[in-house]
Amino acid sequence: MSSKSAILAALDSVAIAKHEMPKVAIAPRLDDLVGQFDASLKAVGGSLVKDNAIEALQQQVAALVAEGNQVISQVAEVSGNRETPEDPHALRDINYAVIQGELAVAENGSVWVTEQGAGIRIAPFICENLYLVVKADTIVANMHEALKLINLQDTGYGVFISGPSKTADIEQALVIGAHGACTLTVYLV
Amino acid sequence: MKIALFIPCLVNQLMPQVAIATLELLEKLGHQVILPKGQTCCGQPMTNSGCFNEARSTVLKLLNAFKGVECDAIVCPAASCLVAAKENFHEFDDSPEAQAVINKLYELTEFLHDVAPVEQFTRPFPHKVSMQMSCHGLRMLTLAKASELMSPGYNKLEALLNKVPNIEVVYPEPHDECCGFGGTFAMDEGAVSAKMGKDKASAHANTGAQYVVGYDPSCLMHLDGMIRRLQLPIETRHLAQILNEAI
Amino acid sequence: MATTTTANHAEKAEIFCRDEARVDWHSKALWLLRQKRDRAASSLPEWEELRELGSEYKLHTLSHLGEYLEQFEANCIKQGIQVHWAKDGAEHNRIVHEILAKHQVKKLVKSKSMLTEECHLNPYLEQHGIEVIDTDLGERIIQLNKQPPSHIVVPAIHLKKEEVGELFHEKIGTEKGASDPTYLTRAARQHLREHFLSADAAMTGVNMAIADQGAIVVCTNEGNADMGGNLPSLTLHSMGIDKMVPNMEAASVLLRTLARNAIGQPITTYSSFYHGPKPGGEMHVIIVDNGRTKALKDKLLAESLKCIRCGGCINTCPVYRRSGGYSYNYFIPGPIGIAVGAQEDNTNTTAWACTLCGSCTYVCPTKVPLDKIIAYQRRLKAEQGTLPYGKDRYMPIVGKVMGSATLFNCAMSVARFSLRNLPNAMLKPFSGAWGKYRELPKAPKTSFEAWYNKNRSE
Repeated sequence: MSSKSAILAALDSVAIAKHEMPKVAIAPRLDDLVGQFDASLKAVGGSLVKDNAIEALQQQVAALVAEGNQVISQVAEVSGNRETPEDPHALRDINYAVIQGELAVAENGSVWVTEQGAGIRIAPFICENLYLVVKADTIVANMHEALKLINLQDTGYGVFISGPSKTADIEQALVIGAHGACTLTVYLV
Repeated sequence: MKIALFIPCLVNQLMPQVAIATLELLEKLGHQVILPKGQTCCGQPMTNSGCFNEARSTVLKLLNAFKGVECDAIVCPAASCLVAAKENFHEFDDSPEAQAVINKLYELTEFLHDVAPVEQFTRPFPHKVSMQMSCHGLRMLTLAKASELMSPGYNKLEALLNKVPNIEVVYPEPHDECCGFGGTFAMDEGAVSAKMGKDKASAHANTGAQYVVGYDPSCLMHLDGMIRRLQLPIETRHLAQILNEAI
Repeated sequence: MATTTTANHAEKAEIFCRDEARVDWHSKALWLLRQKRDRAASSLPEWEELRELGSEYKLHTLSHLGEYLEQFEANCIKQGIQVHWAKDGAEHNRIVHEILAKHQVKKLVKSKSMLTEECHLNPYLEQHGIEVIDTDLGERIIQLNKQPPSHIVVPAIHLKKEEVGELFHEKIGTEKGASDPTYLTRAARQHLREHFLSADAAMTGVNMAIADQGAIVVCTNEGNADMGGNLPSLTLHSMGIDKMVPNMEAASVLLRTLARNAIGQPITTYSSFYHGPKPGGEMHVIIVDNGRTKALKDKLLAESLKCIRCGGCINTCPVYRRSGGYSYNYFIPGPIGIAVGAQEDNTNTTAWACTLCGSCTYVCPTKVPLDKIIAYQRRLKAEQGTLPYGKDRYMPIVGKVMGSATLFNCAMSVARFSLRNLPNAMLKPFSGAWGKYRELPKAPKTSFEAWYNKNRSE
C-alpha cells in the first residue's frame, strides 16, 4: 500500500464525531476604515502617505533615482531605474521597490500583494525599502472580508504584508529589519 | 435550606477551622446543616496522577456518604475537591442516585452567590484582602472570569466579599496565575512548585494586604507554608472565615 | 541534542531553578508575550467567537480529513505543485533528500518548521552532504549554538543577548562584547543574506493548507520563508496532515488569532499564500502523518491536532516559564508538548510537569482541552504501568488508606500529633519536597469531624 493509501485508510476511522462546517458571522467594523488602517499600520512599524500620494511618490522616487539608488517600480505612474529580471537573484542590490497592492486590511495594516503586482515574487522581500501603492477604496475591515475578495485562481503567489520585516528573537527586543524590507511606506491613492 | 456539608479530608484533618467557619456561617444564615458520616478524600490525588483503579474505593466511599442523604444542597468549602468529586463520581458511578448527588454539589461561594444569595453582611471587616484566585474554582467552576478570557467580566467572590462593610479587595500581580500547589505536584516538582509559591506569596504580600483570602484550602495551606518560610507580613484566611466573622 | 539525556523533568527543572535571577528573567520574558496577547485579544470584541470558530473549523476538518487531503492534493496538482505523502519522519526525510539529490542541491535554506525538527531532518540531510541553513533568527542562533529550540515560536528565548553576542562573535565575526539586539540582528541579516543568495533550494513549514484552493499559507515576521521560497527555483514545503483547513474563510479565522495569540501582533508581517511554482520553478509539498492518524483514533488525543502552533499555551504556562524548554524531554515543550509528546518521554515525567491549572486551555485559540489531555496522558501512563516519582508504590497505599475511615483517621491523628509535638528539625527530613521549600502546616488538635461530634451531636 502506498503511504497515501495508508494515511487515507487510517483516516477512515477518526474518533472525532462529524462536525458541520461552521460559518463566520462577524459584523465587520466599518467606521473610519482609513483611520483604522493608518493606526494599525503605525502599530506594526509602517507609515502611511495619503495626501496627493501618487505625486508624493513620484517626487520621492525621482529624488532617490537622482541620488543613485537602485529602484524597481511596478507601478505605471512611477518610474524606477531597473527592469524586472527573470532571475530573482539579479535584484540583490535593490534599494527601493515600488509595488502595486490589491487591497488593504484595516484591522492589521496589511496590504495584499500578488506576484503580478510585485512583477516578480522576490521584489517585496529583497529590497531594503518597500513602497506599496494601494487604492483607498480597497480597504476592508478585517481578514474575513479580505479573503472573500481574493481570488487565488488568478495568481500563483500572494502575500499579506503588514509593516516592515521584524524580529524579537533576541531577548524579546523588537528589531525592525530582519530579512525582508527594513522600512515600509504605504501610499494610499 | 437543609445543607449537607462536604468536608474534604484535608480540611477535616488539617484545617478544621475552615469547616467550623463554613458550618457556623451557614447556620447563621438560617440553614439547617448536617455532616453526613463516612466522608473521605475526593480521590483527586489518585485521579490527577492517572491512578483511577486506586481511586475507585475512596471515591465510592465518599459518594456513598451522600447517597440517600436528605438535603437540598451539598456544600463544600474547597473548590478543587468539589470539582474532583463531581468528575470522579461521574467516572465511577453512572447511576441516577450518583447523578442526584452530583446535581446537589456546590462550592461554598457558588452556593452563597447563586443558590441562596446573601443580601448583606453586617459586621465590618476593615482590612485589605488579596484574593487568591485558585485555578479549579476559577476555570472549572467559573467562579469569576479568568484573565485569559475576553468575555464580559464577573466575579462571584468579589461580589460576595463586597457585601462585607469596610473590606478592601485587591489582587496580586499576575491576577490569577497558579500558586504552584497542584496536589502531588508540590511533592513531585518541588523546585518549580516552591518557586511558583514564592512568587505568588510575594505577589500577595506586595499588595500590602493583611490577608490572602481564598476558596481553596489546599492552595492556602501551600501559600501559608511559603509565607511563613519567607516570613512575609501577610496571613492566609479562607473566604468562609471572613464571611463568618462579618455576619 | 541536549534533550536526549535521561534526567527527568523535575531534576532538570530543579537545576534550572538554581539560578533564580535567570528563572525570573525567563518567566518575565514569556509573561510579556502573554500580556501582549491579552492586549491584542481584548482589542477584538469577537475574540471568544473566533476561538469557538477556530475550534469548530478544526473539528470539522479533522472529522473530514481524508476528503480534504485528497481535495487539496488534486487542487495542488492542477496548479503544478508536486505532492508527496510520508507515513513517518523517515519517509519524509527520504523524500526530501530524493528531491534535493535530483537537483544536485548542495545548500538548503530552511525557514522555521517544527515538523522538520520532529523528523530530525537537519542531521539526516547533513549526513547526506547537504548543508542546511536555518534562517529564522532564533533558529539560526540555536543552530549555531548546536541546540534544539526551547520554544516553538521564540526558539532562542532561553539565551540572553550577551550569550548571543558571544556566539555571533565566535561564529559570524561580530565585535567582541557587542550584545545590542539591533546590531546582532543586522549582522545576522547580512550573514543570512549571503546564504539566501547562494542556496540551491528552499524549504518551509506550513501554517495552513487550504483544501479548496490547493494553496499553502506560511506566516513569518522576518520574511525568511519568502526570501528563501522566492529565490531558488526549487522550493519544498513540509506539512503535517493536521495543517489542513477547508477554505479561505477558515483561513481567515486562524489568520486573525494566530499572531495575536502568539506574540500580540494583529497578524504576522508576512502571510504568504503559495499557490503554484514560480515561473520555471518546482514546488513540492510533503504531507506527513508520523503518528497523527494514530492520535486521531483517540477521541481526546485527536483534539490536540486542532493546535495551530501559536505557542500561547507555552507562554502562559507557569511551569514552563520556571522550568525552561529543555526540561520536557520532547522537542515541543510546555502544555502542547506534553499533550502531543508525553508518550515519547522515556522518563515518564513530563505528563506531571503541570499543575492542571487550565490556563493553557483558556488561552488556546482553537480550544484544545490541554489540561484534560495532559491528565489523560497520566492515565495512559498509569495503565501502561509506567508511573514516575514512586507513584506506582504509594498510590495504591493512599487509595487503601483513604478508602478506609479507620485507617485514615488513625494515620491522620498520628500526623497531626507529629506536626504539633515534634520539633521541626525532626520532621523536615521526613517531609520531602514539602518541608524542603515550605513550613509544614500548623496542625490542629482535632479533626473537624471530632469537633462536630462534640459540638453538634444531637
